[in-house]
Amino acid sequence: MAMQTTLRRRSSSAYWLYLFPGLFGFLIVVGIPFLMNIGVSFTSWRGIGMPKFVGLANYARLIADSAFWMSLEHTLFFVVAMAVVPTLISLLVASVLFDYISVRFGQGLSSFFRAGYYLPQILPISVAGVLWGWILNPHGVLNMILEATGLGGLVGNWLGDPDLAILSVGFVMVWLQIGYSLVVFMAGLARVDPSLYEASELDGAGFLQRFWYITIPMLKPEIFVIGLTTTIAALKVFAPVYVMTNGGPNNATLVPSFFSFYHFFSTVRVGYGAAVATAQTAITIVLAAVFLWVQSRQTEEGDHD
Amino acid sequence: MKKLSKLALVLAAVTALGAVSAEAKTFKVWWYEPADGALGIAWQAALDSFKKSHPDVDVKFELKTFDQINQAGSMILNSSEAPDVLEYNKGNGTAGLAASQGLLQAMDDEYKARGWDKLVPESALALGRYDENGVFGTGPLVGMPNYGEFVSVFYNEDMLKARGLEVPKTFEEFETVLGKFAAEGITPIAEAANDYPAQHLMYMLALKNADANWISNFEGLKAPLDTAPFVAAGKTIQDWVAKGYISKDSTGMTADDMTNQFMAGKSPFVVGGTWLSTSYGNIKTFHAGQFLFPGQQYAPGSTGNMWVVPANAQNKDLAYDFIGITLSSDIQTLMGNKGGLPIAADTAAITDPVGKLTTSLFKDLVARNGLGFYPDWPVAGFYNEVLQATQALVGGTATPEEFAARLKTFYDEGLNK
Amino acid sequence: MTDTSVPAAPGPTDRNIPRGKRGALRWWVLAFLFAFLAFMLAPIFLALNNAIKTATDYATNGPLALPQSFTVEGLLGFWSYVDFTSKIWNSLLLSAAVALFGVILSLLNAYAIGVGRIRGGRATLVILLLGIMIPQESLVYPLYYLAKSSGLYDSLWAPIIIFTVLQSAFGTYLLSAVMTTFPHEILEAARVDGANRWQILWYVVTPILRPTLAVLATFFFIWTWNEFLIPLVLLVSNANQTVSVAMGALSGQYVSQPTITAAAALLGITPTIIFFLIFQRTLTKGVVVGAVK
Repeated sequence: MAMQTTLRRRSSSAYWLYLFPGLFGFLIVVGIPFLMNIGVSFTSWRGIGMPKFVGLANYARLIADSAFWMSLEHTLFFVVAMAVVPTLISLLVASVLFDYISVRFGQGLSSFFRAGYYLPQILPISVAGVLWGWILNPHGVLNMILEATGLGGLVGNWLGDPDLAILSVGFVMVWLQIGYSLVVFMAGLARVDPSLYEASELDGAGFLQRFWYITIPMLKPEIFVIGLTTTIAALKVFAPVYVMTNGGPNNATLVPSFFSFYHFFSTVRVGYGAAVATAQTAITIVLAAVFLWVQSRQTEEGDHD
Repeated sequence: MKKLSKLALVLAAVTALGAVSAEAKTFKVWWYEPADGALGIAWQAALDSFKKSHPDVDVKFELKTFDQINQAGSMILNSSEAPDVLEYNKGNGTAGLAASQGLLQAMDDEYKARGWDKLVPESALALGRYDENGVFGTGPLVGMPNYGEFVSVFYNEDMLKARGLEVPKTFEEFETVLGKFAAEGITPIAEAANDYPAQHLMYMLALKNADANWISNFEGLKAPLDTAPFVAAGKTIQDWVAKGYISKDSTGMTADDMTNQFMAGKSPFVVGGTWLSTSYGNIKTFHAGQFLFPGQQYAPGSTGNMWVVPANAQNKDLAYDFIGITLSSDIQTLMGNKGGLPIAADTAAITDPVGKLTTSLFKDLVARNGLGFYPDWPVAGFYNEVLQATQALVGGTATPEEFAARLKTFYDEGLNK
Repeated sequence: MTDTSVPAAPGPTDRNIPRGKRGALRWWVLAFLFAFLAFMLAPIFLALNNAIKTATDYATNGPLALPQSFTVEGLLGFWSYVDFTSKIWNSLLLSAAVALFGVILSLLNAYAIGVGRIRGGRATLVILLLGIMIPQESLVYPLYYLAKSSGLYDSLWAPIIIFTVLQSAFGTYLLSAVMTTFPHEILEAARVDGANRWQILWYVVTPILRPTLAVLATFFFIWTWNEFLIPLVLLVSNANQTVSVAMGALSGQYVSQPTITAAAALLGITPTIIFFLIFQRTLTKGVVVGAVK
């Protein structure tokens, strides 16, 4: 027993070699630049020339900035729109495609659907912004359809009304995100032995039972990965807001990344932008650490099964 | 001995390199205007003319994008990759920032020596000069404009004629005409408040209550914001929304949506910039006319983007040669004939109807000293703040007083920075 | 060795449910999936609809009407306007390099963390994940200065290195999560057979993970293809620029040309669609390979 442990330890430390390129790259591309960013957050700087040290002034300003707090509130909404809703939808769709469509209509059709649902991910976001603008503007497709189908009462100013704008942007996020999680889930299901489904089907388990007792447990690692990466993506969401609403109307869709981008490149208060980005990253790290902790507990439990 | 021969070899190599660079002089020039627009066509012609007069120079032209120069411009100027001359965005946040860091070459001597002062008067150079803080108006001349732009009213002549209506001469007449359309259930002004156009209309209405002193203070970042013109503009906007002259729906529309609405003949008026002249001038289904916003001296407008020469450019003389060519009467007339707005052209020489009308309206505006610049210039990043505040104003989620107060907060903070 | 299509033979399951109802249900499910597909693709259909219109047609009838005219002028115009051939080449080079290097780097990292179970593996993972947690715009200025001082400013190598590292954060996380749940028996068996660590990684782990690696490569390729800000800032000269940066040429300060935007959208997504379709095959094959136990 003791011998086995030492053997394991020795082999484990030898694996560090495999991490070397990754850690070295990380240091150069992320580590050093991010430390520089933290340094900049204590200065007043316009991107070129010499930064001027201002201590904690940028952070003091940040705490007092109501726009920043508002942007954090919106982030909570975007976590729902980018992490929760698309994950649930694509879990269901993935399992319908894998356990129902490919079984009853063949593998080809299921691949076809997957490719189709994935297409929004491929579209450059600047183009997606223009296209959704055509759909959501007051004279756009959506309102035309509503009027034509006798639902004229539901016609709305989707991007111009502060109460509707955040819902519209969230809706587009769902549209955008489904393909990503769907493809990951379907790749995960590929690892599952199909005989498992066959056997349970023979035992009389219905689709929902197989979904709950086979699909979900099997996809646990993917669900965690998707959950965390989409949450992180939601915390730093930028492009869809930038192309659709510019954070408006009346700051109704303002998010932290837009806020920092705005100060990095529009007001050119690089020091303040760096402070926003640093605070935002700190929040993300805390959330991710909690998430990973929960995940590792879950995986350990899984190991005992 | 060996060492010596090595040295000789290196020396020979260096001399050879020197000879090569002296022989093949390269001239790098960048701009970002579309190739098929008036500016793109005129500047391409200028470049062709440059090639003819400088046969020994290797010309390297690159068509850049607005985004690249806007977001990475100062980084490029601060490197060895910058060209000899490039089109650069006017204003404190872009050219002003680069100038204040010493990245742009002062051209005051060339302006006199090359006779540009006879083509472009000193009064048109406000946006080419930046002080040590990067605020425009005074300081060395680092940018040379060669075209202009302004905001005016485009109208659908057919829709007015069908109702026997004349082009309004006063503000009151304008409101009467707007009211006639509104009474028919037509939204008279196509507008876009989810984009830049609404803030141009808002600033147009603010200029109605502004004088030279106010404009100079506002644009020059000289004093805390006097909000009276903005409050007045806010009241007019909300009044127009209430009367149906502008649709509340415009809060969800972009400039493209606005243009679609006007071109489809759904609204008879658009308050827009001269960058729209060419596309409106080419409408086939009706005739689009243009008039200066009635009843006031000022309108949003200025000289356009300008030529700058990076401080570490290799061939500054070639750059000045090229700038000179873009100001020549041939190129300026060509720009006008393509529907553009040249700064130093002879109006009589322009034959294209769109270019002629725009150029003569611009002449009128300049003659009465009526260029009011733009609302977002004084402070870097003001653009988005003005956009959102105006959007809230049109949508009715902010009162005119709240709207003006919001602008003041941002403005005064920029002032105290 | 079972092929997934085997259970398609309807059999015992149908015993509990009346045949007619089962038959109707599957068509309902199919109809629903098609409706959902139509919704997902509607915006892309709009792009297609407007890419082939003339500007006048667009101006008079708006973006929603079906084309009354047909022209590929917008497509060809955009192509020559931004010298699309060289942009495609740059984007292909950048995206393919990142997809390849990113997958390799992720695989190495994840092998150490997931299979090697090195001490502090989880902490290392959190640190590497900073690569996707830090908002990109905060890295732009430092990366600009680093690229300039290393002589990589205006070189495709700068974004290749940057995106390889940034994307591998996600790859490391996904692969190490999967590797942690890897059946120990397989690895033990390989070890008993005398395979060393490299051989286990190459001959045992990699083949089993192939579907996931294919997904990763696809993601990296497409994400890198659509990256905008870092290429915009680090690639100065037109000869080095990418497709997504060239898309920016469509919107000036105050001007935009919607039909050309639509045309460019089509041109811009075509290479990625082709790439995705190629990988579809790998993904499909992967199903069978993954089932081999």
